[in-house]
Amino acid sequence: MTRLLRVEAIRFLSRRAVLVLLALAIVIPVVIGFATVRNTAPPGADELAQAKEQIQQTLDDCAQHPRRYGIKDAADPAATCEKRMHLRVEDYAWYEPLSLGDERKNGSGVAVVVLLGILMLLAGATFAGYDWASGSMSNQLLFETRRLRIWAAKAVVVTAAAAVVSAVVLAAYWLVLARVADHRDITTPPGVLSSCLQSGWRGAAVIGGAALGGYALTMLFRSTVASLGILLAVVAAGGVVLAAVGIESAWNPGLNLLAVVLDGTTYYKDVPCEGGGGTCSTQVPLSLLHGLVFTGTLLVLAVGGSLTSFRTRDVP
Amino acid sequence: MTTDLVIETSGLRKEFRNRRGGTRVAVQDLDLAVPAGGVHGFLGPNGSGKTTTIRMLLGLARATSGSMRLFGAEVPRALPEVIGRVGAVVESPKFVPNFSGRRNLQLLAGTIGVPDARVDAVLETVSLEGREGDRYKGYSLGMKQRLAIAATLLKEPDLLILDEPTNGLDPAGIREIRETIRGLGESGVTVLLSSHILAEVQQVCTSATIIGNGRLLASGTVDELLGSSTTYRVVVPDRAAATAVLNRARLPVQAVDGALHVEADNPALITSELGQSGIWLSELAPVRADLESYFLELTAGESLGAHAEEVAS
Repeated sequence: MTRLLRVEAIRFLSRRAVLVLLALAIVIPVVIGFATVRNTAPPGADELAQAKEQIQQTLDDCAQHPRRYGIKDAADPAATCEKRMHLRVEDYAWYEPLSLGDERKNGSGVAVVVLLGILMLLAGATFAGYDWASGSMSNQLLFETRRLRIWAAKAVVVTAAAAVVSAVVLAAYWLVLARVADHRDITTPPGVLSSCLQSGWRGAAVIGGAALGGYALTMLFRSTVASLGILLAVVAAGGVVLAAVGIESAWNPGLNLLAVVLDGTTYYKDVPCEGGGGTCSTQVPLSLLHGLVFTGTLLVLAVGGSLTSFRTRDVP
Repeated sequence: MTTDLVIETSGLRKEFRNRRGGTRVAVQDLDLAVPAGGVHGFLGPNGSGKTTTIRMLLGLARATSGSMRLFGAEVPRALPEVIGRVGAVVESPKFVPNFSGRRNLQLLAGTIGVPDARVDAVLETVSLEGREGDRYKGYSLGMKQRLAIAATLLKEPDLLILDEPTNGLDPAGIREIRETIRGLGESGVTVLLSSHILAEVQQVCTSATIIGNGRLLASGTVDELLGSSTTYRVVVPDRAAATAVLNRARLPVQAVDGALHVEADNPALITSELGQSGIWLSELAPVRADLESYFLELTAGESLGAHAEEVAS
């Protein structure tokens, strides 16, 4: 099995499409991280000067035309304007300071995990799809006839590569953001960095699962296009169908994945309003365990179907 | 079943379901026996079930019923135990297009733990040295075929299964591949050569199995198969009189190119009948049949290829 794993690892890392996807898995988080650092940076001296100038212009305008600003019969219009308008530099040079906690829950952290997941799913799908398209799968089976081994070796390589790359990238992402926050003298509450890193590990596991899912579906449908087409249809139509059928969001795959990454999340549910008719929205928690069981079941179904198909169907 | 046979199948059957719910029978009740050593032809028209049979033997397709053995081991159950002794090219060569020939072979060699030195050796055997670093997708068809044969040699196989190995090759390539196959057969490797080209089988093979519509039509050494023909060329001064005499003796006669072709179990029958009638032969020789005539005789013009039997389910 070690030999087979080595061969599959070489095959995986020799594929140009896979290499491009792995490179994107590094470049995209770097870009997102750079944008996050930039967007949360305190205003510089130029921006502050510009803000002060804008405030002064507004105050001057107010002093010259107080009525435009709703000020009538003021003895000292300039002082009244300044007092009433209460303009602050921070309002004109507004920025959201870097917060690791916010980035983890609602910010760039989730975006990075989602994008890495998509990239690794594509990597898993294209790796398997190329073997089918080129016909090299049958050639390989003439050297190793135990199909379970072939399937497993490819799956291990795809999953491990996706999980390891993602774990490294996500850990680096959070450590860099923490370092930036530290550099800006932003106090990160105790345990927040640890939560971010844990989200990163869980995110890496989810991304590994996405890669495995992409691989398993492509081994099942024997075509990258078919498996990605079906996934796209599920993503596009899934939410609409759930809503149309009236199934609550607890069974939305995306939300369950989020629950896994964030160690639980919440969703809105319509319930009868207290003391009256009609429906009211209430926030309901969705636990990590629920997310794990739900997404794990989907993955097991995909893997089971793929394995059964590969073991029993004729290979072209 | 005996174990001195390299390949044995018994009652082998393969059905494919089509989209209309019917069933197409590709191979039916096929008893195949390939003895050890030499080149064994597996002859039949396109669509007659040759490739399907090979794919079942190699575990790429599942048999609907029947049994198969390779080196006495039941397949597909015991295939992992014997696959190391079997090299095969099924239909067209299939490698990763963007990898070089060498890289493709190295990966296959890595799967079975064969050292890189063996890769160099087989590349040299098939005369691909110097081009081994080129991408596979840039290879000519002949080079692809040679690389496929090189891949089969990685294992140093006792049995080589080649499915239409000269398909699409130019005459020089065909000759080269045939010589390679002949050489392998002489070196002690058993070669199963699947082909629809009768001349190829006749030139290269020592024995052959002929199938049509997925069924066994004939099997034996090439000499046996050709020797079953009992036609003699007879040259006489008076062909009309000779024809009348031979017809009276219930021997089928056909006029061909100024001579008579007479079917008889024993040539003495011909000389005796004509001699008793005072007709003296100036020439009597067996007509050396070729495999093509034999094949046509077997199939009698019946469609044995793509129009395989369809059974509604």
